[in-house]
Amino acid sequence: MTDLTSLTLLEQRDGLKNKKFSSEELTSEYLKRIDKKNKDINCFISIDDSAIEKAKKCDEKISNNSGSVLEGIPIAHKDIFCIKDQRTTCGSKMLDKFISPYSSTVYEKLSNAGVITLGKTNMDEFAMGSSNETSFYGSVKNPIDLERVPGGSSGGSAAAVSANLCSFSTGTDTGGSIRQPAAFCGVTGIKPTYGRVSRWGMIAFASSLDQGGVFAKTALDASLALENISGFDPKDSTSINKKVPSLLSEASSNDMDHIVGIPKSIINNIKDVKVKNNFEESIKILKKLGIKTKEIELPNLEYALPVYYVIAPAECSANLSRYDGVRFGYRCEEPKNLDDLYSRSRAEGFGDEVKKRILIGTFCLSAGYYDAYYIKAQKIRNLIKESFLNAFKEVSSIAMPTCANVSFKLNSIQSPVEMYEQDIYTIPANLAGLPAMSVPSGKINNLPLGIQFIGNYLKEGVILNLANKFQEQTDFHKQV
Amino acid sequence: MKISEETLNNISTLSKIKIDDDMKPKLIEDLEEILSMVHKMNKIDTDKIAPMSHPIDDAQNLREDISDKTIDRDAFQKYAPKTDNGFYLTPKVIEQND
Repeated sequence: MTDLTSLTLLEQRDGLKNKKFSSEELTSEYLKRIDKKNKDINCFISIDDSAIEKAKKCDEKISNNSGSVLEGIPIAHKDIFCIKDQRTTCGSKMLDKFISPYSSTVYEKLSNAGVITLGKTNMDEFAMGSSNETSFYGSVKNPIDLERVPGGSSGGSAAAVSANLCSFSTGTDTGGSIRQPAAFCGVTGIKPTYGRVSRWGMIAFASSLDQGGVFAKTALDASLALENISGFDPKDSTSINKKVPSLLSEASSNDMDHIVGIPKSIINNIKDVKVKNNFEESIKILKKLGIKTKEIELPNLEYALPVYYVIAPAECSANLSRYDGVRFGYRCEEPKNLDDLYSRSRAEGFGDEVKKRILIGTFCLSAGYYDAYYIKAQKIRNLIKESFLNAFKEVSSIAMPTCANVSFKLNSIQSPVEMYEQDIYTIPANLAGLPAMSVPSGKINNLPLGIQFIGNYLKEGVILNLANKFQEQTDFHKQV
Repeated sequence: MKISEETLNNISTLSKIKIDDDMKPKLIEDLEEILSMVHKMNKIDTDKIAPMSHPIDDAQNLREDISDKTIDRDAFQKYAPKTDNGFYLTPKVIEQND
């Protein structure tokens, strides 16, 4: 019998619809596999005990043809998405015992579409990290090589798809937290335009950069998953009030023309020759498909990393001020006074990386430094956005590597800046609010790497179509 | 960029995060490394550039001004560390003067 967990989302959807197998069978296969694999990979923080019961209900709906678009599909949520009456930890001791009193819009939308939640996935604490080593629940291991990191911060979600432990998974991307782990784990990952996916119930890190998205086996799977979490939400004031097209139709369309921009100076400066060669080979594949390419300039992108490490910590320091040991979350033992309650609850509840970022953000926003850091960064951010807008006058998407390297060994990076440089190619899209995705593009020493496609505002369908064309010609996405 | 212990103590107070003395040298080293990287921003002249207020300019929505019951105090306080009769409990804020 076919291993049901190795099927794509689209194959599973068809199999369920045509009664080749039931959702109960599919869900049970995943749960067995999770039971076997999770102790090594550590990609789940919690498992939903009611999954089988829900699968049976989905099977009833499928049998009387009243199933929704994703009826009976077992998925995993990054543990940053609140689910009513369930534990939502955000990978932090601070929220270890937090039970959410409400659900995120992403969870609600997918539940209404009929999915079954298998569990919540491990992540860097409060989504701050590029290796999943900052989680209170221990590092996630890369399923391809258990001595290596899966990337971060959505490393658990990427690893879960890579190891066939769910059909697809949700993630969030503030500076590359979907695309970098997707590249490291050999899966497809997309963050849409800022505002496309509601942030309601998605625990905040840096609100002007945070954006929900998905991991899947293929671009087509990702398009179906993404269209089911996208859309206007009045509960999120930054949500975009524009109709979401059928991303699956757009991704699989044969009528879409592409001009892919190649940012010459960025590509020339890739340090790792093997990464550069892989990128150039990927572009050759696109050209063989008859896709036009054009060399472009993207000035000022070299400032993206410094800009990000002002804006993201600044917003994080403001957002995380809510964790005070009073209303919810961790509270220290026997506080002497109110100040001791705040400062000790926060010192004991947050991990080192989170504290570091709060301190940097507090510094950049403090009196005398605000203009020199925060305002300066927001000005350069506008220049970066302008660079992209100028490029999109000539091209329909932009290609660059997802990462400067393949997955590295656990505990091998000690310097904070060296870790932050993991996101050097992914951060620019977040600063500009653009949709971007990573697609497997080959391997170096058996470790996957990805090519990144960045699209213009609301043009998720364009990059998904490009990614699908790439995947029709390659089998890199089938090599995990 | 040098961070003095005084500056670290100041941002520790502002951010309400207690920092143990033995953690300070490593933390200062890390913050200095991060801020040195951030200082690359100074290479670019931004005098005539407006700061970005929002990545997508037209996306700030206001909902209709209709009251909507969204907060259920009991549901929210169920998971609070310490409550009493609908109040959140903290250590005493006002000391009694004899």
